[in-house]
This record gives sequence, structure tokens and C-alpha cells, in this order.
Amino acid sequence: MKELINWLAEPIRSFPIFTILFILMLKYYKVIGTKKFGWGALIASIPVVAWFAADPNFIKIILWPDNIPINILIVLVSFFTWLTLYKCAENDNRLEAGEVPVEAMPENREKVWSWPNLVYTELFAIIACTVFLIAWAIIFKAPLEEPANPTWAPNPAKAPWYFLGLQEMLVYFDPWMAGVVLPGLIVVGLIAIPYIDTNPKGNGYYTFSERKMAISSFLFGWLVLWVYLIIVGTFLRGPNWTFYGPFEFWDFHKVEAMYNINLSEYIWIKMLNTPMPGNLVMREIFGIILTIFYVGALPVMIARTNFGQKLIEKSGQIRFYIFIFLALGMTSLPIKMVLRWLIDLKYIIALPEWELNL
Amino acid sequence: MTKKHEPGMAYDMKKLNKVFAFLSVIFLLTVIWVFLDDYMRPWKMVQIEAMKIKRGKIDAKIKKAAAAIDSEKLSQLNAKLEEGKKIVASRKVELDKISKALGLISRDLKDETIINGQLNAQISALTFNYGVAHANHDKSAHSLFDQMQVKKGLFAKSKNNLKTLDSKKKVLVADEKKLREEFLSAERGIKEILNTKSLLTQAKATTDIDPIFVIRNAPLGDFLDPTVKIQQLVAKNITDDRYFQHVPKVDRCTTCHTFIDKPGYEEQPNPHKTHPNLDIMVDKDSPHPMKSFGCTTCHGGEGHRVTDFNSIAHTPETPEQRAEWIKKYNWHEPHKVPHVMFKKSMTEASCVKCHQGVEWIPQAHVLNEGRRNIEKFGCYGCHKIKGWEHKRKPGPSLKKIASKVDKKFFKSWVWDPKSFNKHAKMPRFFEQDNNSSPEFIKKNVAEVNAIADYIWSISSDYKPFAKYSGGNKKRGKELVKDIGCMGCHGADGFAKESKKIDAYAGPFLTGIGSKVDADWLVSWLKKPSHYQEDTIMPSFRLTNKEANDITAYLMSLKNKTFEKLDFESLDESARDEILISYFSAFDTKEVAEKRLSKMSSHERTLELGKRSIGKYGCYSCHDIEGFDGRAPIGPELTKVGSKPLTQFGFGHEHDVEHSRDGWIQAHLINPRRWDNGVDKPFKDLLRMPSFGMSEKDAKSITIALIGQVGDYVPLGGVKRLNHLETVTEKGMKVVNKFNCTGCHQVDGTKGDILGMFEDDLNEGPPRLNGQGHRVQADWFYHFLSNVYPIRPWLKVRMPSFNLSNKEKNAIVAGFQAKSDLHTFEDLGSQVVWEPGERSAAVKLFKSLDCTSCHSGGFTSDEASAPNLHYAKRRLRPSWIKKWLEDPQAILEGTVMPSFWEDGESADPDILGGDPKKQIDALTKYIIEIGHDKYSPNAK
Repeated sequence: MKELINWLAEPIRSFPIFTILFILMLKYYKVIGTKKFGWGALIASIPVVAWFAADPNFIKIILWPDNIPINILIVLVSFFTWLTLYKCAENDNRLEAGEVPVEAMPENREKVWSWPNLVYTELFAIIACTVFLIAWAIIFKAPLEEPANPTWAPNPAKAPWYFLGLQEMLVYFDPWMAGVVLPGLIVVGLIAIPYIDTNPKGNGYYTFSERKMAISSFLFGWLVLWVYLIIVGTFLRGPNWTFYGPFEFWDFHKVEAMYNINLSEYIWIKMLNTPMPGNLVMREIFGIILTIFYVGALPVMIARTNFGQKLIEKSGQIRFYIFIFLALGMTSLPIKMVLRWLIDLKYIIALPEWELNL
Repeated sequence: MTKKHEPGMAYDMKKLNKVFAFLSVIFLLTVIWVFLDDYMRPWKMVQIEAMKIKRGKIDAKIKKAAAAIDSEKLSQLNAKLEEGKKIVASRKVELDKISKALGLISRDLKDETIINGQLNAQISALTFNYGVAHANHDKSAHSLFDQMQVKKGLFAKSKNNLKTLDSKKKVLVADEKKLREEFLSAERGIKEILNTKSLLTQAKATTDIDPIFVIRNAPLGDFLDPTVKIQQLVAKNITDDRYFQHVPKVDRCTTCHTFIDKPGYEEQPNPHKTHPNLDIMVDKDSPHPMKSFGCTTCHGGEGHRVTDFNSIAHTPETPEQRAEWIKKYNWHEPHKVPHVMFKKSMTEASCVKCHQGVEWIPQAHVLNEGRRNIEKFGCYGCHKIKGWEHKRKPGPSLKKIASKVDKKFFKSWVWDPKSFNKHAKMPRFFEQDNNSSPEFIKKNVAEVNAIADYIWSISSDYKPFAKYSGGNKKRGKELVKDIGCMGCHGADGFAKESKKIDAYAGPFLTGIGSKVDADWLVSWLKKPSHYQEDTIMPSFRLTNKEANDITAYLMSLKNKTFEKLDFESLDESARDEILISYFSAFDTKEVAEKRLSKMSSHERTLELGKRSIGKYGCYSCHDIEGFDGRAPIGPELTKVGSKPLTQFGFGHEHDVEHSRDGWIQAHLINPRRWDNGVDKPFKDLLRMPSFGMSEKDAKSITIALIGQVGDYVPLGGVKRLNHLETVTEKGMKVVNKFNCTGCHQVDGTKGDILGMFEDDLNEGPPRLNGQGHRVQADWFYHFLSNVYPIRPWLKVRMPSFNLSNKEKNAIVAGFQAKSDLHTFEDLGSQVVWEPGERSAAVKLFKSLDCTSCHSGGFTSDEASAPNLHYAKRRLRPSWIKKWLEDPQAILEGTVMPSFWEDGESADPDILGGDPKKQIDALTKYIIEIGHDKYSPNAK
């Protein structure tokens, strides 16, 4: 069983599993978003977690002081995701029945004083938070290490937990893509959300059926592409950034068979059986064409589909293209991951001479 | 929202207040928790424990002091005190008068002192002003001068008043004392008796846990002046490497090791124990005081940390201790500490860090044992170690080997040296854990055959100069024992002695008859340098008969089983296969095969032979033609003690302790174990040979090696040899090279062969205590190249070494420097007699009957002490005097009697019985009668 889980946990398998689970979750959100399911899942998870924790290698990783925030993150993210789905399901059922959302009921529209209702309770939250942080700091001492020794770097050298998703992306992308362009896109994308998404529905109340597109694309980016990568980076990446299953001992010497090949090498050498052209642009021409197609032609093609037409109708041309561009940027990550796993692809465009690798 | 609240309110205010109260209490508790967590440090408990131990000790002392008080005397004194009180009370009137007068005088004195002080200040100011005015020719100079004179007059008067008052006061005080004498004397007596006890009681008070102690050490208040606090040592001359900067070493070990520098706590459990070697370590009068050297300089570990037991990187000595610590201190392996603490038994490893360039480190017995084993097994041959470069190659030269042994012997020997001689130091390369498969054995056999062929092809011719003419085996055996062969060689037939001496400079003498031929052996014994110019084997000046006798004995030592061994012949396909793997290192297989096909079979064999010598590093230990200047085969070990643990290849050997010493020790015992479970081609197999080392030997070498650290120690911190020490070490290097210490004990160290003379050390080679002071430098130099028997009664012989001039000079200067002597000394060869001194000397010489032992040149009796006629050029007069004064002080157990025991002369009639005069006279006489020759044979 443990071997099976170790095997399943490898990104090549766990990523599709996670994606499928994500799709199922959205599809059956009305089943998941019930108290019955919530309690059931909580009760069912207790023996599972206990069984996991009984494993010495797993518990070691879980209780490593560095990793405590991730444990908390998993619990909180699960709970709040469920809570959202629960609220959405409740409201969507009401909307289907022709009623107003819970939040729009007269008793919930009543206004209250910000003092003490808001300020006082915020003070409680501050105190409770402080108590929690102090207790945490005492029980799990700060994971400070030896003075930095330039000849003996830590292995694995891990980024702070909130950057582990980015660090995981470094496995698949050139540093300036994973470290500059993609994070930049994420920030720009997040800033752009209110300007792209002008749909007034869902303001002030939970709903999924009215905001399917927005919620699923955001949650995909958040849960699958960010939280999942953080979990992988924290618990499943060991020495030398090698992948280790949750029950696997972090053997320093573990080696993974990896040899990555560029797209240009695939096409020129393997498929066309000809020498690589000396001209850099010629050499990488297929990758360049593919990339131009991906960012240039694909949005136009999508715009021609029914789905695209509808979107343009709703939000206008500019918003549509910006949205599609951002969405393609986001999907480039899973695309590259899948290509890496399937055909050991290194770079689509490999121009190290110009420090331009995609 | 089922419940309805007041308008504008979402919650019930009372409920909110309750929540707030609850949270506030929790918050308060957390804050208290933070303070307690910060306040409670493990070391505080240790210090309080130490206080209790100290208190217990003081209590015991107080008890002892109390017991020592003479209670009878005390009660008498108390009675006297009471009586004195009464007497003094009866003089109350006089006393009151005096005390009143004293009060007045004190007042006057104080007044006068003020006046005096003011005047003094005014005069100083006036002096300055006058000086300035005078220098500037100012008009005011005159008036200032006058003012100054006035003040000076007043000052003198005031000074006089002071003196008068003072003397008056003295008289009064004395009067008062006299009036109270009865009381005071009793009080003094009591104080004297109770002194020790009261001092101890005061000391005890410092360990009281009283309110003041509590306040000083209370949380928050303890930043002011706590008594329980972190103790630290800052060693200015030794630094810690903080990677970007070297900072003075800070050690806080004494925070818990409270009594480490205080004798008297030896029986306490750790951490309260006294350091076991206060005479050389820690103590402020020792050569390594704690304040200058810290603790972790030697012990290793992170001395500045006091967080808990683990943070310092304490290392358990044994698995049992490890288990105990895990239980007691929650011990775990230190993370990422570059130098964890040395195990207790390995602490001496650290000496090497600062004591460089010396052969032996005084008192570092464990380390010296390790260094001796490095020398014995010749580790430095293959592995460069800084400070060992001067050592000769551990194995014999192979330049003329073809004329010494036969080829079959050579191959069988190389294959498994221990099958010929179980004491062989030559390690075993073959049939090890990683090369015992049939395929590898076949290839190894081909390599050994090829090596033999190659060595034979380059071996130069040699013809022994002597012929064996038959000898007496029994006499030969006796000679081997008597003349001192065993200082360097163990020998068959003398198992007990060999074990005691544990000699290693030369091979163990066994099976020689199966190894060399008799003619070669006779020549070798008579003149070793004839066969090998740079051998350290000396000549014993053997007669032809002696040489033949010894040869007869040694040739009778045969190893029949070894002789019967046949060495498999070379497998050509295996040879070619290995050669192709060499040739195809940078070329294709086709090119390699082509290159091979151009070579004849003989050429191929020689090629493989040469490459195999390079591969196994034979040239690292043996002189082989054509390999001069090649770097030794093994990795350098100069800094192996600082090599990061992650760089040690533990392979799949999980039962090896995961530490530097664990790896090195396991490696020494079985160097090939790291190949277990690894699939490697023939050419990549580990090659470090097996020495068949015992665990003890391996551990001692490990200790010597883990001390080879790369730490930078500032010049102020390391042991720098002074001029004399440098010269000494140069000499001792030569002494070690020729294994002089195999026979001679030098100032108490080594002298291995003396193990054979435990019954009477005087029958063994002379012990060289203060040799540099004993003999004159010129004589010593002459003696080294012209050995003659000084002590004719000894069977053991001083051999003649093939020393270069440089080496002789180094030895002479080295011994001289070792005895703290500079080059020039008045040897007093011109004897000048005081009146009557000579006749006294002659009388003394007779009465002490010197010639009964020192008979040489006086009587025909057999001498049992050196010939005094050659003392003049041999001994230093100052040494003769020292020797006469107390021979046992120089040479414990010598048969030379002490004639002036405890500084008293046995013959009080001569020279007034003054020992110094007698010794001087006798010394002069010995010089006077001496021949002006270095030795009887000298011209």
C-alpha cells in the first residue's frame, strides 16, 4: 500500500490525479458542499492521517519545524474550500428554487455598529493570534541552523514555504521564466482580475453556478498550480531536489534517471536526421513557430469558437484577449510539466546564447 | 440569525466581554509561559547543583576545622576575656579621659589636614604662575615669588603641626591599648583559634540561597548582577572560523563544567569533575592554561553554545554512552557541525593542530602511538601528510631485486606477503573483498606476473662481494640475540623477546632461507650499503666468522609451505584485455586493438607491468627505476580531519559509525568494504591494500589522522619551536630515520630493545639521558663514524651507520640542543690545581677505589665501567661533576655508586670534607690523566 502511494505521489501521476479530483470537486460541488459530506470527510480522514503519521519517515517530514505552516495550510485550505462550496451550494439551490441568496435575506441585510461588533471582535482575533504564535514559537523552536558555511550548503536548499511553488517551477522552466516572467504574470493577473471580471453577479453572496468560469479558473491556479506545488516542494522534494514518496526515506544518494532533450534536437536530429543548423533562429525555428502560435494564433482561434464568442460578447475584445493571454500563461505550466514527463523535453526554444529558454 | 439582539448589535455585549476576559487570561498565561521558557535554562540547574556540591565540600571543611579547635584553650580564653572586660571596666575613668582627648586631637588633625591641603594646592598654582611670569619676564614675577614664599612658609608650619598632632595621637592610642590590654589579648587569642573556621563560614555564605540570591537571579532582574550566569573564556590567540571572518575563540564550557580547573572535585560526576590532567592542561600554571587556550581548541565542538547538552556537539565514546545520553539528555547527532567534539579517548588528536614539525609530542601517548603506527605501516608512503615528507620510503629499493630473490618468490610474495611472513608490513592487494571473483583473480595474476617481468627487466646487476663458507647455526642464533639485531628486527626463535620489543624498522627475520641466497646474505650482513647505498641497515663490524654464523642461522629459517607455492603463469588474453582498457581510455577500441597488435608478447607484458606498478603505486613505497618524481598514489591526508563528513564515501556500509573516525577506522581495517554492493569495472576497483591491521592499531592511526585538520591557528596560538628546539627536531629526525631509538632510550622515550633487558637495564644499550651534555660534540661526531666499544662488558654492539656528514652533524647538534647546550662551552682541558688539591684528588681516587670498576688502563681486571683515560675528550667536565654528585639523578638504576649522598662526603678528612671541592678535584684528576685521543683506535 505504501509503495503504491509512493508511486502515485510522483508528480507525473499525482498531478493528473489532483487535476481530475479538482474537476470532480467542481462538478459535484453540491454533494461536497453539504454538512454531511464535510463531517464524513473529516471523520474518514482521521484514521487515514493516523495511518500516515504512523510511518516514521512521514512523521519526520510532517513534524519538521519548517513544515508546520504547510500542515496548517493544508487544513485551512481544505476547510475554507469546503466552506465556500457549502455556501455556494446552499445559495445555488436557493437560486434554482427562485429564492434570494442567504446573504440577501432581510435579517442578514440589517446593519450593525462597527464598535463593538467589528472592532471588538477584531481585537479578539489579534489576541488569539498572538497567543497562537507565541505557543507555536515555544513548542516548535525556530528552525535556525548553523552559521552559513559557503563550503557546506544545506541539501536540500529550500525556499521559504510560500515560495516553494516557484521553486518547484524551476524544475520545469528556465530560471528567468520560473523566477521572473511567470511570477510577474501571476502578480499582474491578480491585479487585473477586477478589471477583466466585470460580471456583477456574485457580489456580496456566494455562488458557483453564476460564476463558473471565474471560480474554476482561479481555483485551478490556486489549488492545483500553487498549493499542490507547495505541498510537493515541501514534503516530497528531498536532497538534490529529488522526488521522494511520502513514506520514502530521504536517502542522500538516490538518483533519478533523467536526461532532458530540447525540442530542436528532437526535430532536427531525431526526426529529420539532419545536422543542427548553425543559425540560431533557424535552429530553434520550430519552437519559435510553436510559441508564436501559442500566444498569437491560439487566442484568435479561441475567439472564433462559441465559447470565445460568448466571452467577447460579455466582456469585449480587449478584456477577452488579456484574459486569454493570462490563462494561456497559466496553462503553460501544466503543459510544460506534462511534456517533461512524457518526452523528457528540456526547452521548447533553447537559446542559451541569448539567455532565452522557454 | 435566530436570536435577536439590541438594534445595531450583532452580538450580546456581555458575551463579548466574557470572551475578552477569557482571551486576556489566556494571553497573560502565555506571556508568563514565554518568560519562564526563556528563564529556565538547563545550565542554571547545573550551576545550582554545583553550588550545592561546593557547599557540601565547605561543610566538610568546617567540620574538620571545628574538630581541630582546642575547646579547652578556647574556654580558658573566654574566661580571660570576661576577666579582661571587668578589669578594663574598672579603668573606665582613665579610658573616658583618653577617648575624649583622642576625639579632640582627631578634630584638630582633620582641621590641619584641610589647611595643609589648601596650602598645597595654592602653592602648586603659584608655582605654575610664577614659572610662566618668570619665563615671559613679566612684571608680576616678583610679587608672585613673594606670595609663593609666604605660602611655603605657612605650609611648612602646617606640616609641622600635623606631625605634632600625629605623635600626640599615637601616644594616646598606645595608652588606650595598654589600659585595655587584658581584654585585647584574650580577644586576639580567640580570633586566632577560630580564624580558619570563620573564613570557611564566610566562604559558605557565598553559596547561601537567600533572598538576595533570589533577587539577583530573579527573572527580568537578572540582567543586573546575577550570580548564576554564563561563564566564558575568550582565547585571543586562537580563532573560530565563522566562514567569513575569524573571531577569537569563545568557550562557555565552564558554565556547566564548573570545577574543571579546581582540584578536589575529581570524584564528582560530570560535568562537575576536575580535569584529569591539570598538570599539563587547564590549570593556570600548566603549559596550556584554560584562559589562553579555551576548551574546544583541543576537544572540538561548539564551545560557545550553552543552549542545551546537544548544541555543543558532545560526542559519546561508546554505544553504551550514546544510549545513556539519549535517555538522559535526549542526545542526537549534531547537525552540520563541521568539527564535532572528539570522543574522549581521541582528544589527543588535537595536539597535531598546533604542535607541527616534531617527531613526538611529549606526553601525548595515545597520539604518539598512532604516529608510530603511521610510521610502522608506512601510510605516509602513499599518502602525503605535511610534516612527514622527510621520511624515507617505507619499503626496500627494488633496483637490484633480481639478484636478491627469485622471480617466483617475488610473485608469491606480492600476491600475499603474509603467507610468507605473518609479520610482514607489506600490505595485501589481492584476493580482497572486491577482487576475489575468478575474473578479477585471473586479471590480478596477469598483473603480478607482468609486474615481476617488468621489475626484472629493469633490475640492475649485483654480485655479492663475499662467499658463504659455512657457519655455526647455534652461535649465529646467539649472535642475533646478543649483538642487537632485535632493536630493528623481530626474529624467529625469539618470539617472546620480539613481542616485547615490537621492532618494526627492519623486517621480521623469518623464512629468510627461502628468500635469499647465502652469499648475498653474508655480503649484506657485512656491508649492507654494498647492495643498497641508502639503506638504514648498519654494519655491525662482523668478523667473517660471525657473519657466516649468522648467515648459517638465518638460512636455516625456511618457509617450506611458501616455497612449495606455485604462481600461476600469465594469461595472455587477460593481459591483453587489461591493456586494451588502458589504451582505450581516450581512444576507440579499434585504435587500442591496433596499437596492441603492433606490440610483441614481451612488450605487452612489460607495458602491463609498468602500468600496473603505476596503478598499485608500488613506487610510493619502493624505489623503482623510472618512477622517480611520480606523486604518491593515495590522496593527501594533511587535512583529512577537516574533510566534510558528506565527502566520505560510506557506500552501502550502514553498520559503520557515521563519523570521520568511524569511517577511517573501518577503512583501515578493511579498505575495500566500500565496494560492497557496487558494480564496478576492473580498472575502477578500490586499490587501498589491506594491512591486516588490528582494531587497536587502526584506532591509534585514526586518532593521529583525525587531528590533521585544516583549521587556521594564528601564529600566537601555535607552538613555535625556538632555535634549540628546531635544532633538536632536526637531529631527532635523523635519529628516528636510523631507528637509534630502537636500541637507545633517549631521555626516557622509546629504547625498544630494553624490553629484552628488563632484569638489568645496564646490560642493554646505554640510555641516553642528557647525552648532549654528557659528551663533547667533537667526540660525538668522531664516534659516529668511528665506533669503538666504550663498555667492553656489553654484548650488544653499537653498529656503524652509513651516515652522511649532514646527518652526523644533525645528530650531534640535535642532542646538544636537546640538553639545552649552546655550541661553545669551556671544556677545561687545561688543568690548574689549587694548592694541595692534586694530592687530595689522588688520595680520593684511591680511597673511592675508582679503578675497581674503571679498571681500563689501571689494572688487568675485567672492566665493568668505561675506561677513564678516554674521558678527557669524551665527557664534558660539567657533566662529570654532575654525574659524580648524583649518578642516579641522571641514570636511574646505574651501578655507579653515589659517593656524596645527600651532599655529604664519605671521607671527611680530604679537603675538609667539602663535597664540592672533592668533586672538583676528582674531575680535574680525571682530565689530567686522560689521553688526548678520541678513542683507543684514534691516532
